[in-house]
Amino acid sequence: MDPECSQLLPALCAVLADPRQPVADDTCLEKLLDWFKTIADAGSSLLLLQENPCLVTLLCPVLKPQDLSPRVLAFLLRLAGILAAQEDCFQHLQQGDLLPRLFGEAGPLGGAAWTAPTVRSGWIQGLCSLTQHPSALCFLAHSGAVDTIFSLQGDSSLFVASAAGQLLVHILGLSMQAPAEGHPSLQPAHWPACAQKIVGHIEESLRATATPQVTQALNVLTTMFSHCHDPWTQVLWVHLSPLVACLLEKDPVPAAHSLVDLLLSVARSPVLSSSSCGLWDTLAQTLSRLRASQAGPLALGILKLQECPKALRAQAFAVLLQPLTCVLEATTQAPGLPGSSGPGLQCGVAAIGPVASSEACAGRGGDPTDGELPLAWPPGSVGGTADAPLTAGMLLPSKAACVGLLCQTLAHLELLQPLPQRPSPWPWAPLLSAAVTILRLCNGSATPTSDTGTHLCAFLAGCVRVQRAALDFLGTLSQGTGPQELVTQVFAILLEYLTSPDSSPTVLKKAFQATLQWLQSSPKPSGGGDLEPHAQLFLRELLPVLPKRLCSPCWDVRDSGLEFLTQTVRRWGGQAGFRHALLASEVPELTEQLLRDPESYVRASAVAAMGQLSSRGLHIIPASPGHPGAQQKSLLEELLHILSTDSEGFPRRAVMQVFTQWLRDSHADVAADTEHFVARVLRVASQDLDWEVRAQGLELALVFLEQTLGQPSSSCPYAMTPPAAAPPSLVAQALQPFCRVQLFDFAFRALFDCDRPVAQKSCDLLLFLRAKTASYSDQQGSSSGPDVASLEAALQRWQAGDQGQPLGDLEPEAVVAVLRSLDLEGLRGALAESSDHAEQSPLSLLQDMLATAGILGENEADCY
Amino acid sequence: MGWNVLGALSLPCMFPWPVCGGDGCFLPHPSFPQQPRGSSFPSPRRALQARGCRVPSGGLRQVAGAIACSSRETDMGEVRKGWQRLTPPSRPGAGQDVGRSCILVSIGGKNVMLDCGMHMGFNDDRRFPDFSYITRNGRLTDFLDCVIISHFHLDHCGALPYFSEMVGYDGPIYMTHPTQAICPILLEDYRKIAVDKKGEANFFTSQMIKDCMKKVVAVHLHQTVQVDDELEIKAYYAGHVLGAAMFQIKVGSESVVYTGDYNMTPDRHLGAAWIDKCRPNLLITESTYATTIRDSKRCRERDFLKKVHEAVERGGKVLIPVFALGRAQELCILLETFWERMNLKAPIYFSTGLTEKANHYYKLFITWTNQKIRKTFVQRNMFEFKHIKAFDRAFADNPGPMVVFATPGMLHAGQSLQIFRKWAGNEKNMVIMPGYCVQGTVGHKILSGQRKLEMEGRQVLEVKMQVEYMSFSAHADAKGIMQLVGQAEPENVLLVHGEAKKMEFLKQKIEQEFRVNCYMPANGETVTLPTSPSIPVGISLGLLKREMAQGLLPDAKKPRLLHGTLIMKDSNFRLVSSEQALKELGLAEHQLRFTCRVHLHDPRKEQETALRVYSHLKSVLKDHCVQHLPDGSVTVESILIQAAAHSEDPGTKVLLVSWTYQDEELGSYLTSLLKKGLPQGAT
Repeated sequence: MDPECSQLLPALCAVLADPRQPVADDTCLEKLLDWFKTIADAGSSLLLLQENPCLVTLLCPVLKPQDLSPRVLAFLLRLAGILAAQEDCFQHLQQGDLLPRLFGEAGPLGGAAWTAPTVRSGWIQGLCSLTQHPSALCFLAHSGAVDTIFSLQGDSSLFVASAAGQLLVHILGLSMQAPAEGHPSLQPAHWPACAQKIVGHIEESLRATATPQVTQALNVLTTMFSHCHDPWTQVLWVHLSPLVACLLEKDPVPAAHSLVDLLLSVARSPVLSSSSCGLWDTLAQTLSRLRASQAGPLALGILKLQECPKALRAQAFAVLLQPLTCVLEATTQAPGLPGSSGPGLQCGVAAIGPVASSEACAGRGGDPTDGELPLAWPPGSVGGTADAPLTAGMLLPSKAACVGLLCQTLAHLELLQPLPQRPSPWPWAPLLSAAVTILRLCNGSATPTSDTGTHLCAFLAGCVRVQRAALDFLGTLSQGTGPQELVTQVFAILLEYLTSPDSSPTVLKKAFQATLQWLQSSPKPSGGGDLEPHAQLFLRELLPVLPKRLCSPCWDVRDSGLEFLTQTVRRWGGQAGFRHALLASEVPELTEQLLRDPESYVRASAVAAMGQLSSRGLHIIPASPGHPGAQQKSLLEELLHILSTDSEGFPRRAVMQVFTQWLRDSHADVAADTEHFVARVLRVASQDLDWEVRAQGLELALVFLEQTLGQPSSSCPYAMTPPAAAPPSLVAQALQPFCRVQLFDFAFRALFDCDRPVAQKSCDLLLFLRAKTASYSDQQGSSSGPDVASLEAALQRWQAGDQGQPLGDLEPEAVVAVLRSLDLEGLRGALAESSDHAEQSPLSLLQDMLATAGILGENEADCY
Repeated sequence: MGWNVLGALSLPCMFPWPVCGGDGCFLPHPSFPQQPRGSSFPSPRRALQARGCRVPSGGLRQVAGAIACSSRETDMGEVRKGWQRLTPPSRPGAGQDVGRSCILVSIGGKNVMLDCGMHMGFNDDRRFPDFSYITRNGRLTDFLDCVIISHFHLDHCGALPYFSEMVGYDGPIYMTHPTQAICPILLEDYRKIAVDKKGEANFFTSQMIKDCMKKVVAVHLHQTVQVDDELEIKAYYAGHVLGAAMFQIKVGSESVVYTGDYNMTPDRHLGAAWIDKCRPNLLITESTYATTIRDSKRCRERDFLKKVHEAVERGGKVLIPVFALGRAQELCILLETFWERMNLKAPIYFSTGLTEKANHYYKLFITWTNQKIRKTFVQRNMFEFKHIKAFDRAFADNPGPMVVFATPGMLHAGQSLQIFRKWAGNEKNMVIMPGYCVQGTVGHKILSGQRKLEMEGRQVLEVKMQVEYMSFSAHADAKGIMQLVGQAEPENVLLVHGEAKKMEFLKQKIEQEFRVNCYMPANGETVTLPTSPSIPVGISLGLLKREMAQGLLPDAKKPRLLHGTLIMKDSNFRLVSSEQALKELGLAEHQLRFTCRVHLHDPRKEQETALRVYSHLKSVLKDHCVQHLPDGSVTVESILIQAAAHSEDPGTKVLLVSWTYQDEELGSYLTSLLKKGLPQGAT
């Protein structure tokens, strides 16, 4: 412990032990415990106690817990637990009979203080810290604490109840570690007494009729099987699985959510995956017993397992697909009228029949030869009509249930699809069909003729929640392929959503995202070059829609439209078809207008979009209507104006990003006079109040440096290095442009910027520069002239916090000399530390707590 | 067939996890009503002066920590309030806390999260609520129906981008239009400070803030917003800060009102909170000043102006650290007006370019300000400041007096800290802290009286400048809270944002005065309240006609008992006559009869015994239809009596009595009558 802290500790302990001295808030006590934990973890707790006897004295007042405030009492319990985590310190505290008085019957356990949840929480956490060694187990056994922990599982406080369950797992694990040398006994009856007691309690809870008790037991087991993978856990599962199986016989199945968690944690456990445990049967039984909404997470969990019987996977997949099956069947049931439903729905069903071709169903990522699931859609779930009433009934009880189940299913499938262990072949076509159908039901373009379909229409019409989930899923499905007809339908429904005035802003955002995903995954024509014809056609249809979205009264719609535009231009800005369509539309003109949007987010997105359009040569400056000959302000001027005047940081930062990219790409407007461009940008950026703009100004300066002086040398030790340094005159000449653009003035000033990232960036820049000029300065020797002196004086002033005047014209020699004299490495090291390390130090904490404690009482009394 | 009882309906409301926090503007809470106003206690100003100005830590808004669970007293279930990060096996905690307002309400099967605040006192993951308590219920977006944000202070909205973009909530977020506009500015400000100070990589980005804000649905005051078919919300004016709102959440006939932070008295720029008599099942109210009757704000304002004036007059510089938007604008109006009146020339600056931004939003949302500002807006926009100019970093070195508003408000980074370091050494200068500062910050240190501060690089900064604390927080005091309870007329009240002991006092006061239950849950506890929802039931015309035929016309003021069969179909309830129910359901009617055997000592033949029974009953039951049937049995209404010989005792006859449940009373009476035996004379 720091000697300064050691000096303050007795005073703080005295304050904490004095019930008349109100202490600082819980945050301080929490931080104090963090500090003690760090000290204890780093060394000997016993030594800590011996060197700081005030800590033992502090723990002693617990003998009269009624005198202490609950938060101090809780603090002391937790502190004692942290200290007693080491066995020698535990023995030391035991000698003083301190621990029984803290954690036993004589402690706060039976007293009035126990009614405070914070004390119960402190008690649990203290015990949890303390239970790290066999002596602690003996202590627990003798103090009767385990029974108290059992009762705390049902505590009124969520935190206490949760921690009690975790503590039980911790104790069980520790007590089973003790005899771990040998093979664990096959009979829990031969396990250590403490373990037997806990297992007995779990058994009793599993047999209970009250659901909360069953939930507690299941949660404890879930935590245990998730975190402990010792062989004895297999014995325990074999012992308890009949009781768990009994739960499935009840109607309804109690604590279904917790049961699913438990079964999945068991299935994931490396020691329990063998089929001898009967786990697969239990999982299969559970899948069939649970309600659809409860079975969904279990099905997903099963499909995510690395190893699992094929039949179970097929069952799980069928469960997961069931709601979508229901949707497809419901929307195509048209007895006697096979052609009366929408064309899309018909197509969907055509593709999902049990004999659907593997060509239609196998995606790019799928392996049609795998043979795990030979049918595109699991057998029995689609194709036949026998299950239809059952599956339809699952969706129809109420709108809320229907919406909830569909959203959950779509989200589960979205999660599953990118995983390597997803079922193979992945039924792209039916899934696409289902997603499109759902979106059509939502926007009212589907016209199902069956009763179920009509019901679904009524439930889903205009439902934003389902629209969002379906669009997310549709976007993910872009990773695979489906029949061209379906892909056409996908583009059609996306266009419908993007065009519809009824689409809500959040739905539009998702529609834009899904569209982008589908466009990006659209296969390129064999000859290369332009977009695939369908996508091209789609983009042509979309571009007239985009202006409407860019003129939307909702800022988020305008912004999403601009983000979409930026991405599409980045991707296809070089392709003739796209360029032609874009230039023929109003989009570029509208985008430019959005540079003056009242919303700063939109202005920033417009800046990014215009930057991209300009880079691709898609920004044509229109002639001013009043003066046909005169041209409007160039984009560069417009962006510089935003950088100088915009009151919000987002657009200014966006401008800096565009400028930096333009400099990197040698944009025509920049290349015309790079020096002039850099000088203007740096002058504005260096004055910006937003540190991120200043930092980006330095980034631009670094790009300029690299372009002028070459890339930073490779750090690879085997890399070839140029044999000779450039002659001094050349280096001086090379530095001249930086002096002219006043880069050094900005960089040196930024070195002492009050915002750390700016100073860090400047430090990196100057280190790069020094490396580049090292040979020159070696040859020149130490330079001392009037320029150097004035620069050093300015640096000192800046370091002291004075802003002062600009440096004016600097000579390269003076810059190089100052670069040599600066301890840039030291500065970089200091900046790498978090800037609040001083105020967050333990010493600061102790000082603050002491300072606050001294005045609390007075203030309490005399305010009002 | 009579009533078809469908089971008791109990729709609980659950309130887990609120925590509260300081938004940087709190005063200590004196005991209520410890001293009447105008008593001998010194004013806060004088008290602070006398002690060289130290901030009371009790001044920060603290959540009730060690509160006994109300469930044990009321048997109404548990209360769960406030959550903390709980990473197994350490770091739970059910204590009081600062920040992270976050309450989960389950009402009528809908789950709504109220506020999503952060904790300014921690730099690790404890700064955000532990959402794993919700995620264990499944996917967040599936579990939660919506999130409501009451106002833009970070302890109410600071965790929102984390929650939506990092934890993964993808549902709707509701807030008022001004909150939607200002919230991202404060989040951005906070992000910049966090990244600036610690270079945090694992933190939400600017893009995340924007994406989070795209999930926001802005609401107008008093606009009923339909979240879905069953859940609706409505915002009421809350004062406190621009755009702050109280929200009513309604599912069917059940409703909850969440106040967020509110102020029942108007201030310089905002009006007083108001709510209609919406009679919610529950009112969740903040209780920051649970036991405080606040002194006049005018008094605090006078103190503030006097302090600033004195410092400027003696040539000193005054630094006022503030957060970007909110209370700062109120102080600006105050100084602007004072400067104008006193014709002062010393410059006033507002740093970080926020002045324009503030002006923009206050102009845009002028309807959210108070009446005076709205009135004068036509002649002069109160937020177009004549004396307050944008600050440039170089101005700090200018000679002569000046007043500077600089961010951040706790002197823990950026410009305010930089200026403080420059000016701290001069005793002519002054720093005025208008709000609460968390431990560890320079603001906290100077307010607790520390004068030698260790800065970075082991540099020691000696603070000679004058340090003042002036709270301008705008929360309802005890009187205001009582006033709001009186306005809304809730069935139950739940107190959050307060200190245990003081909340206890207010709880008693509310219970006594309004005769309602009042709860004050500790962090992590849940309250469950049973409600009596009214469920609309359609009544068949036939049943109504039958009732009316009895001459009883429906009267809304006189509830009546109506008999029929309740049918539930497609989530709708209908009350129909039992005959109609049978017909609709295709059921045949069953008759239920009670039977009883009565032994009579009578050696005569069965027929004679039956005749004697008939005669006896005929004489006793004059108002009833007693019949002797040809088969020898006797009937009284639906009751059937038959006489039979005893199998073993020829001197005894067995009377078999049976009756329908409709005539149960008469059946029981007859049985008891027959058990007494027949009179000797009966033939």
